Amino acid sequence: MAAWRKLFASVSAFRAMNAPCRSFKSSCSRGAEKDFFKDLEAQFRSFREKAAAAMPGSDWSPFELNPGLPPERADVVIVGGGVVGWSIAYWLKRKETVRDALRVLVVEKDPTYSQASTVLSCGGIRQQFSLKENILLSLASADFMKNINDHLGVINEDPVDLQFNHSGYLFLASEKVAHIMEENYSTQRYAGAKVTLLSPTQLKERFPWLNTDGVALASLGLENEGWFDPWSLLNALRRKAVSMGVYQCFGEVTGFRCSTKMAETLDGDFFNVNRIKYVNVRMPNSLEYQPVECAVVVNAAGANSGKIAAMLGIGLGPKQSISGIPLPVEPRKRFVYVVHCPDGPGLDTPFLIDYSGVYCRREGLGGNYITGMSPEETEEPDISNLDVDHEFFQEKVWPHLAHRLPAFESLKVSSAWAGFYDYNTFDQNGIIGQHPLVTNMYFATGFSGHGLQQSPAVGRAVAELIIDGCYKTIDLSAFDLKRILLQEPILERNIV
Amino acid sequence: MLKVLIPTIMLFPTIWLSSPKWLWTETTAHSLLIALVSLTWLKWTSETGWAVSNMYLATDPLSTPLLVLTCWLLPLMILASQNHINPEPISRQRLYITLLASLQTFLIMAFGATEMIMFYIMFEATLIPTLIIITRWGNQTERLNAGTYFLFYTLAGSLPLLVALLLLQQSTGTLSMLILQYSQPCTLQSWGHKIWWAGCLIAFLVKMPLYGVHLWLPKAHVEPPVAGSMVLAAVLLKLGGCGMIRMMVMLDPLSKELAYPFIILALWGIIMTGSICLRQADLKSLIAYSSVSHMALVAGGILVQTPWGFTGAIILMIAHGLVSSALFCLANTAYERTHSRTMILARGLQMIFPLTAVWWFVANLSNLALPPLPNLMGELMIITTMFNWSPWTITLTGTGTLITAGYSLYLFLMSQRGPAPSHIMGLSPFHTREHLLMVMHLVPVLLLITKPELMWGWCH
Repeated sequence: MAAWRKLFASVSAFRAMNAPCRSFKSSCSRGAEKDFFKDLEAQFRSFREKAAAAMPGSDWSPFELNPGLPPERADVVIVGGGVVGWSIAYWLKRKETVRDALRVLVVEKDPTYSQASTVLSCGGIRQQFSLKENILLSLASADFMKNINDHLGVINEDPVDLQFNHSGYLFLASEKVAHIMEENYSTQRYAGAKVTLLSPTQLKERFPWLNTDGVALASLGLENEGWFDPWSLLNALRRKAVSMGVYQCFGEVTGFRCSTKMAETLDGDFFNVNRIKYVNVRMPNSLEYQPVECAVVVNAAGANSGKIAAMLGIGLGPKQSISGIPLPVEPRKRFVYVVHCPDGPGLDTPFLIDYSGVYCRREGLGGNYITGMSPEETEEPDISNLDVDHEFFQEKVWPHLAHRLPAFESLKVSSAWAGFYDYNTFDQNGIIGQHPLVTNMYFATGFSGHGLQQSPAVGRAVAELIIDGCYKTIDLSAFDLKRILLQEPILERNIV
Repeated sequence: MLKVLIPTIMLFPTIWLSSPKWLWTETTAHSLLIALVSLTWLKWTSETGWAVSNMYLATDPLSTPLLVLTCWLLPLMILASQNHINPEPISRQRLYITLLASLQTFLIMAFGATEMIMFYIMFEATLIPTLIIITRWGNQTERLNAGTYFLFYTLAGSLPLLVALLLLQQSTGTLSMLILQYSQPCTLQSWGHKIWWAGCLIAFLVKMPLYGVHLWLPKAHVEPPVAGSMVLAAVLLKLGGCGMIRMMVMLDPLSKELAYPFIILALWGIIMTGSICLRQADLKSLIAYSSVSHMALVAGGILVQTPWGFTGAIILMIAHGLVSSALFCLANTAYERTHSRTMILARGLQMIFPLTAVWWFVANLSNLALPPLPNLMGELMIITTMFNWSPWTITLTGTGTLITAGYSLYLFLMSQRGPAPSHIMGLSPFHTREHLLMVMHLVPVLLLITKPELMWGWCH
């Protein structure tokens, strides 16, 4: 073998030596011919090298496939590899009747998840909402996460540990909004959440480190509330889904190839109804793309869902028509600050949410706390990057925090980060369902900060929509996309 | 024979010299004319066993229905491919139709062959266009795997056949079926003779396919485009059947004992592949396994070597060819619209496409061998003859019929009935071409109820 290779090497060297002789005969007309032979020889040489490497033990194959490319065909393509996307993938595989009935592909733009909302989240889960659907979603998700190893356990792999701290949420209400809190309390109890109302004296008894100034009523979650590690949940869902046969691809969805039909409304207006045939997935740092033939597309792209919807023309039509209403999901930056306070409240600290909007929870066992606040509508930070504004902490967060927790008057900010909410500008609740102008796209986005805690239940709901055609466990028709088109918001009656 | 073969060869100039606007129309019309001319073969005027046109090409009651089926199928394949090949450049479209036409030529020469070596060569030659169709025009990366399985299973089976045929030529001096049918049955006892017997049949058993060597079929039927699936299911499998019937003539008396394990394998295959159908999620895969199940029955019928067995086998081959091809066309219409072959995602189609639901209904009823369709007639004759051979086979064939009914109805109910999921609401309606395609598949099946003598073979 080696002798053969040497012989070929000498032959090619010989030919290389002769090449200058040939070039003397070259003229304009022979230029192309010479290039052709040179190319041919270059190809032969590279083929020989590859063949030499293709002895047993090498992984050379005759087809130069980029291993990162997605499959050419998939039944369901989920755009967005965050916790909602992987939850949908997991539940689709779990609900299929026969093994390998559905080919599911999850497309994620960023393999490092550096800007994904999932991993930058505080990880809280609560049932203290005013909408019944939100409460049921969180309850179902909490149940899922308490039994996570029954659902997401993979044989021969480590068990999943979400580090679920069941410390509960504590909402504080001022005099003005106490009645809202009471109404919400009865809705929550009716839906099955384990919440209790506390008066200021009870509050002081239970949490002596709290300053109950201005607090008229408090509501504490006793079970199924707290916080967990979002990265663990994401990885557990991903590991289980991949073990069930879900394909994963790191690439960016740059466009869709649709077949379009004209449809006429009763009023005589015409608009285009699209059916997605192919999803164009572009590889990272490359121009190469693969059109993936698909039957159903799920938009779980979080903060980028609006861009995906715009690729299909949603929002780009005349202003007064359905096609002129864009998907109202946009990224909103939120800051999270990690502070260290050695004298702070202890292990039983719940996830405290004050009526001023500031929140604070314990992080770990070393006297660290995570805190932050939602900015005013008019003072939304710039979303072009994830830089942290420390002035915001100094001026807005710290005063309220120190007022509520006197121990926090002396603290040190050890670190901070920022993340995007997939903020639904319409009514700040999730959007699940289909758009009338795109027949085979399902939306599961716009959760505005609740996506992580509702993700297991939302995944199940979307899987029920795709496979069964209707909701089977929790009825989420209130969250259907058509409320955006009919301009009928369903708003959470929060106290903050 | 030449009145069909020469026009088929002239299909090549038609393909390459048509203008792009008229390519599909002209090729469809040309192949339809060939199909209509081939119907003249059905009028049996010869008093001998063969309607001999010359020394090398002839038709007999076995090959006549198969030849007519082959010629009938070419216009249907061209009709079915029109939509998905259209986006491609014109020379590639011409190449595609050329492959179908060359397949047609080889098949006509194979079925009409009187020399076994010519049959063998044409049998092998059909592999090449089919392989090209599977690997070049298939939809997924798995098509490469499918092509490999298809090619190597068939080749591995047919190489012993070549050796066996050459041995036969050596011993008898001729391989012409016209002469071999009169040869003395030789006393063959040694192991070498038994291996020769197996060598003669293995190629056809792989092609049928028999249950143990059937793995190439689900892959090779699922991956190619619709025309590839149609021709594979309808005609190429029947090459195996036809070859087996031809070879059986010269393989007596060894077949009495040696056929035993293959009959058992065939019967067991009916049940196993039928049960696999009940658990399939992929539409084309289900139809492919159902093909294995039906052809296992055909293999059993041929191997018992009785007149009813041969008759039942030929009837079932023709009926299955038309029905299986119809099912693949229906599956393709669903695939072209939803871009998915999974049955979970394309359900409740009856509400959206009512007329197509009729075709689905008739095709599925034919598949489950509903009386008075020829599928049932063929199956009944085979089951009866196997019962005669051994009463115990009725347990296996009866269970097989039950399971066949089960999965055919499962296919119908899953695809047509039930609530339609909301993501298939906006599907484009059916073209007249697709309805025509289905009618041209199903009407012959229905007409054959009235005159099954056309398919009976020479045994009645």
